[in-house]
Amino acid sequence: MITVQILALVIIVALIIGWHVTWLATRVDRANVRAERTWAALDAALVRRAQRALELVLMPGIDPATALLVSEAATAALEPNLSRHDRERAESDLSHVLDAVGPLLPTSYNRLESERARASICRRLHNDAVATALSLRRRYTVRILQLAGRAAEPRPFEMADGQCAHSDGWSPAVGEAGQTVIVPAAEN
Amino acid sequence: MTGPPDSLRVGIVCPYSFDVPGGVQNHVLGLARYLRHAGHRPCVLAPGELGPATEGLDAKNFVNVEFASVGAAMPVRYNGSVARVNFGPLSAARVRRWLSKGKFDILHIHEPITPSISLLALWAAEQPVVATFHAATPRSRSMQLAGGVLRGAIEKIDAGIAVSESARNVVVQHLGRDAVVIPNGIEFDDFADRRQLRGDHPRLIFLGRLDEPRKGLDVLLAAVPLIMKTWPDLEVIVAGQGSRPLPEWCRSLGMISAESKIALLGSADVFVAPHLARESFGIVLLEAMASGVPIVASELPSFLDVLASRRDEGRLGEVFTAGDPGALAASVLRVLAQPNPLRTVRAQEAARRYDWSAVGSTVVAVYRAALSTVPAQPAETSIR
Repeated sequence: MITVQILALVIIVALIIGWHVTWLATRVDRANVRAERTWAALDAALVRRAQRALELVLMPGIDPATALLVSEAATAALEPNLSRHDRERAESDLSHVLDAVGPLLPTSYNRLESERARASICRRLHNDAVATALSLRRRYTVRILQLAGRAAEPRPFEMADGQCAHSDGWSPAVGEAGQTVIVPAAEN
Repeated sequence: MTGPPDSLRVGIVCPYSFDVPGGVQNHVLGLARYLRHAGHRPCVLAPGELGPATEGLDAKNFVNVEFASVGAAMPVRYNGSVARVNFGPLSAARVRRWLSKGKFDILHIHEPITPSISLLALWAAEQPVVATFHAATPRSRSMQLAGGVLRGAIEKIDAGIAVSESARNVVVQHLGRDAVVIPNGIEFDDFADRRQLRGDHPRLIFLGRLDEPRKGLDVLLAAVPLIMKTWPDLEVIVAGQGSRPLPEWCRSLGMISAESKIALLGSADVFVAPHLARESFGIVLLEAMASGVPIVASELPSFLDVLASRRDEGRLGEVFTAGDPGALAASVLRVLAQPNPLRTVRAQEAARRYDWSAVGSTVVAVYRAALSTVPAQPAETSIR
């Protein structure tokens, strides 16, 4: 009788542990997938931002010094095969350049502003996803059972968003008050 | 990867019943209205019966917005005030049915970590989820639970929004998540240009529930005699739900319509927000700022966020230590003795940034960002 009870207990405990591990594995997987997808979205948003910045150069009436400044920063950010660190620096530099030339641009030029806002939001989503994935990976059970599999450890993308971001006080990310600006849908 | 369709079908979940007015409810209605105007298709799920005649809610918010109800809500004392919420298997089934019938591109859940249809919707959601956190105060018990049972639900949120920096701090510290700060919106044009200057006695106004201690009416009433020493003809008007004994010099208008509120703000010489705690967002403050009324507010984090000037020009209104009638009286006296029209104009311009046109387009930007991180929904886009 005792053996039956012990056996039942062992089975129940095993089931609970199994359920817990499965649940944890699902969460780890979801977090990894989210970190990857948010990175893809951020990468695309940053590329679009640099492309929009390059369009500035074609604007009528822009002075050659501003054009050169912007095009250099944007081209540097668009450089393929940059290391993570170099990419972060190039994107930050582009933010700073865009902040500097921003006041000189006609107010109607808000396509760039909405891409900047989009990139800033995407970056926050990505770093949020990375934080979730990392905190799950640090768990004892996850490490021992290698629930994260062979997925590479995600890293947050650190860069300066520039003034478009919600750094000091609230500022609308897209367009100015009074005019409704719909963010253009993702291309391709 | 396919681009999201231009017009989004947005399922909005509001945890609190529209039968009673409240910040979250007003925010949801304003958002739905904005989305509708911007060409999207919002559908709002909320507890309780919804009638456009509901007092204190603006009827024009209801035009062309789809609503669904999960049935009557239960009153529960919660977070310092009475919240009417839904829970249980019946509510859960209704939420699931709404989700499966709705064919939403994206789900926007408000206050997801409350025992309500918001949490039920988050639990059942298969769509991309954007969640807005309104409360700036950690609810310790539910947040502790968040470490266990709720973890999985919290991880389902694709993009978080917090209505203020203080609300974001709660999300970061207690939920281990991050959020984009997007404040509550106001209909700026409704409030601006409604100023009616009156030459007679100064008028002080208070808006908010009269019988809820955290709205701080007691502090204001204790301060008024001190102000009256200098301004004996001060007119004190309070408007809001609830009843309580009031001194004879205080006029109560009870619940007032949105239109009367705008008119009242336009006629005031000083607006006092004496709230004691737990104000998630200073929407009344913003409406007063949009009206061009000088502001006196207690020093709460969410109020300071709203009153912070971006260019080191000092605060956009007077602040005082919460709960201190003497400090309140001193602030009001400063405002009445030395009107500062420049500051009022700055406050008005600051409030303009909170117009729904700006706030709503940023919310949509978050929708787009969240959608760009998930595979296209086969239900709606039917590509692939």
